[in-house]
Amino acid sequence: MNAFAFTRADSVAGALRAAGGDAKFVAGGTTLVDLMKLGVENPTTVIDISRMPLAGVSRMPDNGLQIGALARNADVAHHPDVVNGYPVLSQALLAGASAQLRNMATTGGNLLQRTRCVAFRDTAMACNKRSPGSGCAAIGGFNRNLAILGTSDRCIASHPSDQNVALTALEATVQISGPKGERSVPIGDFYLLPGDTPERETVLEPGELVTSVTVPPPAPGAKSAYLKLRDRASYEFALASAAVVAIVRGGTIERVRIAMGGIGTKPWRNLEAEAALHGKPATAEQFAKAAQIVLSDAKPQSQNGFKVELAKRCLIAALTTVTQGA
Amino acid sequence: MASSVLGQALPRIDGPLKVSGSAEYTTDRIFENMVYAVPIGSTIANGRIAALDASQARAMPGVIEVFHRGNVGELYKASPKAGMIDETRPPLADDVIRYYGQYVALVVAETFEQATAAASCVKVTYAGVDAPNVALELSADDEPNEVDRRGDPAAAYEASPVKVDQTYVTPAETHNPIELHATVATYDGEQFTLYETTQSVFNHRNVMSEILGVPRENVRVIVKFLGSGFGGKLWPWPHDALAAAAARELRRPVKLVVTRKQMFETVGHRPRTQQRVRLSADRDGTLTSLRHESINDAGMLDEYDENCGEATPYLYGTPNLLVTSAQTRRNIGPPTAMRGPGAVPGLFATESAYDELALALDMDPVQLRLRNEPTRDQGLDIPFSSRHYVECLTLGSEKFGWSERSRAVGSMRKDGVILGWGVSGCSWLAARFDAEARVELLADGSARVAMGTQDIGTGTYTVLAQLVAEATGIPHERVVVELGDSRLPPGPTSGGSMVTASVIPAVLGAAREAMKSAIELATSGPQAPFAGRDAGDLRFAGGRIVARRGGKGVPFDAALRKASVSRVSGSGKGQRTFGQEHPKYSIHSYGAQFVEVAWQPEIARLRVNRVVTVIDAGRMINPRLARNQVEGSVVMGVGMALFEETRYDPRSGAPVNSNLADYVVATHADAPHIDVTFLDYPDTELNELGARGVGEIGLAGIASAIAAAVYHATGVRVRTLPIEIEKLLSA
Amino acid sequence: MSSQAFVSEAVAPTAPANAQPPATAPKVVEVVFTVNGNRLALVVDPRATLLDTLRETLGLTGTKKGCDHGQCGACTVHVNGRRVNSCLSFAAMHDGDEVTTIEGLGTPENLHPMQAAFVEHDGYQCGYCTPGQIMSAAALLSEPCGPSNADVAESMSGNICRCGAYQNIVAAIQSVRTQG
Repeated sequence: MNAFAFTRADSVAGALRAAGGDAKFVAGGTTLVDLMKLGVENPTTVIDISRMPLAGVSRMPDNGLQIGALARNADVAHHPDVVNGYPVLSQALLAGASAQLRNMATTGGNLLQRTRCVAFRDTAMACNKRSPGSGCAAIGGFNRNLAILGTSDRCIASHPSDQNVALTALEATVQISGPKGERSVPIGDFYLLPGDTPERETVLEPGELVTSVTVPPPAPGAKSAYLKLRDRASYEFALASAAVVAIVRGGTIERVRIAMGGIGTKPWRNLEAEAALHGKPATAEQFAKAAQIVLSDAKPQSQNGFKVELAKRCLIAALTTVTQGA
Repeated sequence: MASSVLGQALPRIDGPLKVSGSAEYTTDRIFENMVYAVPIGSTIANGRIAALDASQARAMPGVIEVFHRGNVGELYKASPKAGMIDETRPPLADDVIRYYGQYVALVVAETFEQATAAASCVKVTYAGVDAPNVALELSADDEPNEVDRRGDPAAAYEASPVKVDQTYVTPAETHNPIELHATVATYDGEQFTLYETTQSVFNHRNVMSEILGVPRENVRVIVKFLGSGFGGKLWPWPHDALAAAAARELRRPVKLVVTRKQMFETVGHRPRTQQRVRLSADRDGTLTSLRHESINDAGMLDEYDENCGEATPYLYGTPNLLVTSAQTRRNIGPPTAMRGPGAVPGLFATESAYDELALALDMDPVQLRLRNEPTRDQGLDIPFSSRHYVECLTLGSEKFGWSERSRAVGSMRKDGVILGWGVSGCSWLAARFDAEARVELLADGSARVAMGTQDIGTGTYTVLAQLVAEATGIPHERVVVELGDSRLPPGPTSGGSMVTASVIPAVLGAAREAMKSAIELATSGPQAPFAGRDAGDLRFAGGRIVARRGGKGVPFDAALRKASVSRVSGSGKGQRTFGQEHPKYSIHSYGAQFVEVAWQPEIARLRVNRVVTVIDAGRMINPRLARNQVEGSVVMGVGMALFEETRYDPRSGAPVNSNLADYVVATHADAPHIDVTFLDYPDTELNELGARGVGEIGLAGIASAIAAAVYHATGVRVRTLPIEIEKLLSA
Repeated sequence: MSSQAFVSEAVAPTAPANAQPPATAPKVVEVVFTVNGNRLALVVDPRATLLDTLRETLGLTGTKKGCDHGQCGACTVHVNGRRVNSCLSFAAMHDGDEVTTIEGLGTPENLHPMQAAFVEHDGYQCGYCTPGQIMSAAALLSEPCGPSNADVAESMSGNICRCGAYQNIVAAIQSVRTQG
């Protein structure tokens, strides 16, 4: 790991002042420290923001929820308002990582979690995301766990987070502070497709800082769930996952939000599939149609063709769980 | 011998040290003036080093030296007589790169942070870089080696009504003990003291002395606690020599810890195997022929024979048999033994083939195995010392509820989940290594046993204490066990599940000699408690010296104190049986593995629910520790069956999933419920207590039982491990 | 290529006398924290992880390094009462924190109930992942965790035991939970 200067900022203003150049903010450390050890991240300044007062989870006037950027994943997962109002988020957080990592990782850090692609994580391998223009060793290489949706010929890295899949289904908004002031970005607009610039993963500008995530109030009658499929039973990134939020009345789907993880270069939402379910009976047949729509554009790589079928089963099962008994 | 402490499920005597963080592992050593070494691995797998530019690294803060071929000093190739080593080429010996991660340089700095930073700044350029050969398909480079042959298997096969001809593949697996390989090396100008992560302090000493070019007496190897090894730490690896060479050049203690990534590259792995199994049978299930032909990959320089047919010649009876093994070269770091080498991948193939044969015969797979139970070892044509395989199968069936099995694929359900049941047999060798021990009886009433073996987590500390307690009647809590040091009497390698069997004659012999000395002391001299008595009239029992005719006698320590003697000691020795040319008996352990898997096709989720395992491994010295060994093997077997494969990038030759997030091993949540039964039949042909060993047998047969259960649940026969989700999606 | 030629070709030409250090010299940072009840003021390399600082600087070697990337759990310690992977944070990030390591939980002579339960249930083999398992298990006692063995297993899955002593570890934890 290269030498770097270490500073602490205990306010957003202080953090923004300290930012600049190739400085990096650190909170939980679970992504940044890991990647610095690998030589993937090489900041010359690290700003410890973990003591900024942004760890709270609170109700907003509209009855939505504001989750501070520094709220730890474990605290959010077990927060009564999350457990009761947004089970999909609680379940997604608890399906991620390990108890230790969830005690460290923060909401903001998780939002900016980097891909687990082995080519990205090994500086000896070609990776356009890490080193633009160097190529992609994952295409034709180890790509079993990588994306089948949203890929480009430059990058097929999958987005690794569970939290962000749930937040996408919940239509969360990311609150950002920066040198030019504050702004809000719907999570659907927050992540970028790799295209020709896989090094740019979000709309966050240099020097900007995520301060919180807000989620709208739970819709009356909505149910939600998160289903994660992976090789082993725990402590592993998703091969495919699905977050579903739905309102079903009299066996008919009134409203549904679907996001999928493990298969896309960003948390994957498909409005067409949601639209196809609206007003339809909550049946296996309809779920299969929706799954078909989500996966219709899938571009499998050499090792991950199975994800097409796995993701379909994942989505159908998650939709079944959420709509059962409704 | 009054049986008190043997067979008791005593807790480990080293437990309090382990649970409090006080047990000292290799990397826990910290010395004054110690420096940190970080090796640099090649980023190609086939080519040569053109240039190595360390100027930037050398100028970095704290950097002391960058070692490379030009300045590392002499490192020699150890002779085969020295002992075992799977990568014989000394590190940095030439500029040729034969596998990805091969060490090209070593950075030494004052701190770990400085050394790692500098290591990333050493620029290595390569030339003559060719595509590496890491192909998955294996074909023998040379004529296969005929391991065993009897009868005419080809003719019998052709003449038989029921046949199986299938090829099974087990992938490269990486041992991944949680303790990283490491060396802390010190050198005082004459003497090397090497704190090592080794499963064999004596082999390590002997081999390292030749690599370093110094007499054996000048090398001392110490490992007080080993964070397991599973075979990966049996023999020295290149980092051992690098650390010692750096200590030699710098005259400062050097700590070198191999990274998890490097552990996929430079400290061995279980090689990939490809095994063709051909079986034939009569309609009643009688096995008419068996052919087992295996190939494994090896490194570019050294031979490595996985010997998949280890258990094939004797496990079942058949008049016609052929077992061969062959190797093929790959640009991969040299393989090494991994838990149950040979038998574990071999039994996956042969036991899977039996399951397929049972299916072809429409016969219960347990019945098929019972049908072919031999009365003697047909491979060596000698009797079995103690074989209870049939009881393993029948008792296992009973405990598991095998008779409730409905044979049709996918026909068993519980709580909305499809269940699959599978069975496999297993076997593992039992033998002894050479071993010497010293036992001392001390004037404070305690005892001390010393032996240069090591406890890799199997419980050797505790077993040695139990043996001394058993022999002397001194409470096991009062037995101090000293091991893990090449200055102690030579003890066995922790390999082949042979430590317990090996130490028994040595420790009991040493204890008896020490007791004899105590008795002699108690009779000699006017002050002695039994002055003038014939030593033959006395015996040592319950920690006391007593007259054979009766009486309370005296505590042995009182006799010692009376004679103003601090201790009496004895030495004992046991001789190796391993590799014997003409054994009188076929000595093996046996077992049966019964597995239930749960399959949810709607989410393609496969889990192992429960395992019943019955093991015939002789007498159990400590069932608590033995059970843990078998349970742990089962857990490793779940990983082997479902998750584990070291994958090599076909272009760079790099093991690409070289970390514990991408090389998936079983977690707590993957562990099935495990029910272990030991038959506990002493095998006194091996040693007087009849103990064999349980470190490896529990892993054998798990993958085949799981594969059989998966077939039963899904109808998919997986012949190439691991059984990943994608292989089951068609079910 | 002879050994001598190798040196001259590969090393000598690339080490000019006026070589500039490539990176700025490592700055240091002060950190004051409490470890096992002892208040300590250290000056650390910002690159030093909490794990390496505990082990190499403070000599608290009970906490183990198994992967250095948050993938095994051997380095688990408590920070302000919660279990974390000490390999994934810099020591400098722990100014003002209270850190507890396995050495602070109990000693061989005076074991914490969880440590004693691991001995009783043989919740280990080689013992290397054990401090991490025990620190995790001790923290679990005050976390939301369901009553079943499966709940405990899921909550403990961030601690890999390659020896596979999982069944015994869960039994040890459950024995403490039911006694407590």
